[in-house]
Amino acid sequence: MMDILNALLAGFATAITPVNLLWALAGCALGTAVGVLPGIGPAVAVAMLLPITAKVDMTASMIFFAGIYYGAMYGGSTSSILLNTPGETGSMVTAMEGNKMARSGRAGAALATSAVGSFVAGTIATVVVTLFAPAVAEFAVRLGPPEYFMLMVLAFTTVSAVLGQSTLRGMAALFIGLALGCVGMDQISGAARYTGGRMELLDGIDIVLVAVGLFAVAEVLYAALYEGRVQESENAMGRVHMTRRDWRRSWPAWLRGTALGVPFGCIPAGGTEIPTFLSYATEKKLAKGDDLAEFGSQGAIEGVAGPEAANNATVTAALIPLLTLGIPTSNTTAVLLGAFQNYGINPGPQLFSSSAALVWALIASLYVGNVMLLVLNLPMVGMWVKLLKIPRPQLYAGILIFATVGAYGMRQSGFDLVLLYAIGILGVVMRRYDFPTAPVVVGMILGPLAEAQMRNAVAIGEGSWLVFVQRPMSLALLGVVLAVLVAPRVLRRLGQRRAAPATA
Amino acid sequence: MTDLSSSSAPPGAVPSPLWQAGVGAAVFLVAVGMAWGALGIPGNAGYGGVGPNFLPWVCAAVLGLCGVLLVREALTGGYRQAKDPGGAPRAAWGPFAWVSSGLLVNAALITELGFVLGCALCYALAVQGLRRAGGQAGTLAPRRLALDLAVGLIISAPVFWLFTQLLAISLPGLTQTGWL
Repeated sequence: MMDILNALLAGFATAITPVNLLWALAGCALGTAVGVLPGIGPAVAVAMLLPITAKVDMTASMIFFAGIYYGAMYGGSTSSILLNTPGETGSMVTAMEGNKMARSGRAGAALATSAVGSFVAGTIATVVVTLFAPAVAEFAVRLGPPEYFMLMVLAFTTVSAVLGQSTLRGMAALFIGLALGCVGMDQISGAARYTGGRMELLDGIDIVLVAVGLFAVAEVLYAALYEGRVQESENAMGRVHMTRRDWRRSWPAWLRGTALGVPFGCIPAGGTEIPTFLSYATEKKLAKGDDLAEFGSQGAIEGVAGPEAANNATVTAALIPLLTLGIPTSNTTAVLLGAFQNYGINPGPQLFSSSAALVWALIASLYVGNVMLLVLNLPMVGMWVKLLKIPRPQLYAGILIFATVGAYGMRQSGFDLVLLYAIGILGVVMRRYDFPTAPVVVGMILGPLAEAQMRNAVAIGEGSWLVFVQRPMSLALLGVVLAVLVAPRVLRRLGQRRAAPATA
Repeated sequence: MTDLSSSSAPPGAVPSPLWQAGVGAAVFLVAVGMAWGALGIPGNAGYGGVGPNFLPWVCAAVLGLCGVLLVREALTGGYRQAKDPGGAPRAAWGPFAWVSSGLLVNAALITELGFVLGCALCYALAVQGLRRAGGQAGTLAPRRLALDLAVGLIISAPVFWLFTQLLAISLPGLTQTGWL
């Protein structure tokens, strides 16, 4: 316990030097500004700003990232509430009630409760990260390749099979991601795969390029193809202050949302969809009388406060599997993992011993970032809202410029821009045909890691696949994977059987 | 999510089953392509039992299966639980072509024109397409074109300076000065 405190204090000492505070501020501001843009979520915001850090000192850039990460989430909820354009699934629920509140003239209160709720949830979740990440890392050191491989398979199955509308389309998306991850030089044997003789492809396809193409470029192309005539209504801000009744209704919702979000973030099978929807359902169930009547009509403040807190708690706690196991559980953490890899760091259990100073500075900067965002956002909401006044054609065309920087800045090759366009088209098709995009990104970034673990595991088993069932931990994880795949089906079947006599 | 689409009628912008079958077939073709490519990857496994061509074969097999199943879903009533992607039911190919040309022209010319001019051109072409998508008239008026190009320059130039001057990341320039 004392070790943790000491390490954290050392982290703070690094994080609150003036230069690093400036980086945190810049990250928060930039992240919020990009996150506010309609249709752009945290993942795209982080991806588009990645190359900025290429020449910056590592600790400073991690602090900068933490700011962007949090800032983009704050910004995302702003545009969800005001414009009903959630940039990530996590803020979809926020948009449901938040946008209704905005339409009935209470946008200010909705923005305030989501800002304070994010702060509360983010801070509590950061405390959890501080306390538990070292323990998880200590435990994770004992995991061997077979266990790692199973953990990654677990992440694959939940991301693709459980979270989307259809297991089939999720699987197709996941394997497209895995296939993209195959391109380039095989890390173990050095054999070239799917390069078609092009030098550019030997290094593989950059994750930033895929993220920017799949999210940002696809968004612009989709707008040009299908959304020309869509009219957006902008909502009046109203007062930013929350009334006493708003506070009384928000507090418990924040805490409940946090309690729901943290455990979902911790398990390496995350995604913000489940906790945010659970939190929404809980708040709706607990509401009574007038409060309940506001759900779906004028917009209920609990329906913003709870899911927004759950969202932030989940994504913050998701840093535990990311930092200790190297397993990203969302688009945004997948892009963050890409950032670590660009610096030649592989997050994992060794990170806490080999780069302790860096990790603790990062964790300390999460605290700093949270406070900074609250200070930055409550008074500046009005300014961010002005960003929403940019007309769509100019805004989207501008996004293309930033996408170009994001993709081109990494490797300086015109070929990458053609690839960016192709991946943008893939994104449009996936959106139109309702394929989830998260499995592509997670598959692409985890695929090569999982493959390496698998091959090492089989090598440990001297060529025998039985190694996965002979070790108790790996066998248990295999059981969890199967349960995750089978349980929803069984439950649905049971639910139908119970519902069938009722309707007949 | 159920609150948003409670009606049981097929949503407006969900593509027709025929197109869905096409996408399924495309997935299958990708799988065939992967299998063909996997033939050329050496399979020597070394100490382990698994070589570099193992994952490609798995991907090809699973994607092939997914493709077949997608085609089957499409032909037996359409994709299951497909949610409305939003937007118009028909594609506007004109605007799409403008935006595409912006991206591709930039990709082709960025090393010659430099980042600033290439991106400004990309911006102008993309704005052209997006304005047309929105049904705006007179998008080719010279004044407006000049204005679009100017705005493109105003956005891309500071980005370029930020990267080349402040962060010392080399982006291509028309000149070697680092300012254009």
